Amino acid sequence: MLKSTGIPNEKDLESVIPPKERLAKGPVAIIECFEKIPCNPCYTHCARGAIKEFEDINDRPQLNYDICNGCSICVSHCPGLAIFIVDETYSDTEALVKIPYELLPLPVEGSFVTGMDRGGKPICRAKVVKVQNPKFQDKTPIISLAVPKELSMVVRFLSLEDYYSDSTIICRCEEVTLGEVRELIRKGYKTVEEIKRISRCGMGPCQGRTCQQLIMEEIAKATGERIEDIKVHNYRPPILPIKLGRINGGEKNE
Amino acid sequence: MIKTDIVVIGGGPAGICAAINAASSGAKVLLLDRDSQLGGQLIKQTHMFFGSQKQHASVRGIDIPGILVKEMEEYKDNIQIMLDATVLGIYEDGVLTIEKNDDYIKIKPKGIIVATGASEKFPAFPNNDLPGIYGAGAVQTLMNVYGVSPGKSVFMVGAGNIGLIVSYQLVQAGVEVKGVICRGPRYGGYAVHASKLKRIGVPIMPGHRVIHAHGKDKLERITLIKLDENKKEISGTEFDIETDVLCISTGLTPLGELLWQMGCEMKFIREFSGHVPVRNEELETTVPGVFVAGDVAGIEEASSAMVEGRLAGLCCAKKLGFTNPEYSSLKEDYLQQLHDLRSGPVGDGIRKGLAKIVV
Amino acid sequence: MRIESHPILTFEKGKIVKFTYNGKEMEGYEGEPIAAALHAQGIKVLGYTHHRNRPRGFYCAIGNCSSCLMVVNGKPNVRTCVEKLTEGAVVETQKGRGELK
Ligand SMILES: Cc1cc2nc3c(=O)[nH]c(=O)nc-3n(C[C@H](O)[C@H](O)[C@H](O)COP(=O)(O)OP(=O)(O)OC[C@H]3O[C@@H](n4cnc5c(N)ncnc54)[C@H](O)[C@@H]3O)c2cc1C
Ligand code: SF4
Ligand code: SF4
Ligand code: FES
Repeated sequence: MLKSTGIPNEKDLESVIPPKERLAKGPVAIIECFEKIPCNPCYTHCARGAIKEFEDINDRPQLNYDICNGCSICVSHCPGLAIFIVDETYSDTEALVKIPYELLPLPVEGSFVTGMDRGGKPICRAKVVKVQNPKFQDKTPIISLAVPKELSMVVRFLSLEDYYSDSTIICRCEEVTLGEVRELIRKGYKTVEEIKRISRCGMGPCQGRTCQQLIMEEIAKATGERIEDIKVHNYRPPILPIKLGRINGGEKNE
Repeated sequence: MIKTDIVVIGGGPAGICAAINAASSGAKVLLLDRDSQLGGQLIKQTHMFFGSQKQHASVRGIDIPGILVKEMEEYKDNIQIMLDATVLGIYEDGVLTIEKNDDYIKIKPKGIIVATGASEKFPAFPNNDLPGIYGAGAVQTLMNVYGVSPGKSVFMVGAGNIGLIVSYQLVQAGVEVKGVICRGPRYGGYAVHASKLKRIGVPIMPGHRVIHAHGKDKLERITLIKLDENKKEISGTEFDIETDVLCISTGLTPLGELLWQMGCEMKFIREFSGHVPVRNEELETTVPGVFVAGDVAGIEEASSAMVEGRLAGLCCAKKLGFTNPEYSSLKEDYLQQLHDLRSGPVGDGIRKGLAKIVV
Repeated sequence: MRIESHPILTFEKGKIVKFTYNGKEMEGYEGEPIAAALHAQGIKVLGYTHHRNRPRGFYCAIGNCSSCLMVVNGKPNVRTCVEKLTEGAVVETQKGRGELK
């Protein structure tokens, strides 16, 4: 629930995400402002008139997707920092997401950062394509991130910490790094099962609960497969670590 | 004894706008503030403001006083500004005593506009007086006015707009915010502020209360407890969080001491978080010639404070015989702006409060 | 701790001045409140109460609550959250109600 978590739910989002056909045409604003509050700069700053005139200052902004060209003027003028621009035509596999970012240090163009979701959780590696910070934006820089297309409606912030570098540990039990997993994938191992057996990733006490998703993402990135199509490893009993003795019928075999 | 037509007490958004409009109507105005700069709460607000263009929406709070002061310069022949001047008392004969640099000054104006703003509320729990436990206003003053970080990590009590905004400002100042709590199951501030915090990674935790602060000479740790839907404590859910600063933003209450002294009729209005003066549509209190504007008339926003200030300035001047040539159309415009700002769901409480206090 | 860089604000600081805190020499910026200068050095305890001898830091930072009283240049009960720092100021923690030395 938006008013207890601060995160909009799917139904909220549906009401502000343009139809597929529109997204296929180029950049457009996604106005994530779901509450009636006395505020209207988005409307007064849109020179194209893409946001419907507010009859009452408490109205929620209503965007005409066909008039909006994703110019991003409104992004830095929204006091709620609630407006994002999404361009799904950026490349075959990537979308561009433009995000208002008022923290220091600013990311550097061309570098990789971590794309975060609406709850502040790391979601993907993202390339910083552009950092716009002209005077008229009055200290609200806009960062353009290239993210996997299927995450265009998920990534809404960024962190300069690279959660996805080679040295990042993805299996905390067996201390396996992302770099080791990537190396295995390069050597030709393309299933979760194989990677798990060789690296021991996911064989520790947590039984792959933390790393499995990450391994799948890496395989998907390398092979171009969809995450949905990647075979999940078999959950073998026991699903939690138990002293071996219990299963073996009480034998003490230290 | 200084003589002037109108004294405006408080140089926040309400007071500055009141001075502008009283002066533009032809009255001589003395604008007083105990601070050494004008702007009131605005001088600490680094975020862009809500509202509409007429109230400078989308401009950062810190930049609004400059815009208003520029407007004030147009009427500089009619406005005198006195800073570092605290109004200590107003007596029933209408004489004000002011303390400035250890001096006492007396003023007898014909009209008074009180725009003293608000003071912060403070929750009770053991050790709530430990150094390291600060009001949200103090944290803002320290970091945004003086550039000093309040500590390594901060835990925020209160999730209204102020709690949410100050948490965001803390992250901007490079301070870790360990969490924001409120007692009810929902936070009170605007959803856009909460979403902004959430994606930066600050936990928002409705349904919690601080029950204890710990530390030898200064704060080191707090104990929280979970609350159910009815804000009742759920025993056994206590847990500790380490933090060196606890920031309190559990609400503001109107700062109406001077109004009491003058004998204005005051009423406790829950929706306005405290005692506020009974007044008419023009913002005149039950003491003739004494007007109010801004948070002292009921906790609201800078947007409405500015419009109220303009309305009070216009009407107070008229009362003393200085009628602005556009008096009627201006008054109508201000009343309309106030009506619009308060017409939505977040204005519900304000409308209810007004119904009880405006005569 | 001072905030070195800020995405929105730039801080205009006065010239650096020396002062003493309980006899210890320190530096701060001229014109900033004494409590801010101390806080920048990590000093949060400004005094002790007269009744229960509890530690006191600042609370409101705008001269409202008198939580920040210290002895400055021998004068007790100075609200250090609004009192401006000057070159050579002698600042001491205040115990209790404060008596003139
Ligand atoms: C963190 C935070 C975020 C906010 N965000 C927004 C926002 O986004 N949009 C919005 O519209 N509003 C916002 N507000 C609210 C807004 O700042 C206040 O509603 C507004 O400042 C009230 O104006 P005022 O002039 O009534 O009072 P104040 O701004 O409080 O000014 C009162 C002035 O009176 C002076 N004074 C008091 N007593 C005396 C005395 N005895 N003698 C002399 N001077 C005296 C004080 O020094 C002060 O300068 C925010 C407030 C806070 C704290
Ligand atoms: S992106 Fe440009 S065209 Fe679209 S709503 Fe914003 S300002 Fe208007
Ligand atoms: S400017 Fe931003 S916060 Fe204000 S109404 Fe528009 S989208 Fe919402
Ligand atoms: S901290 Fe409140 S008066 Fe100084």
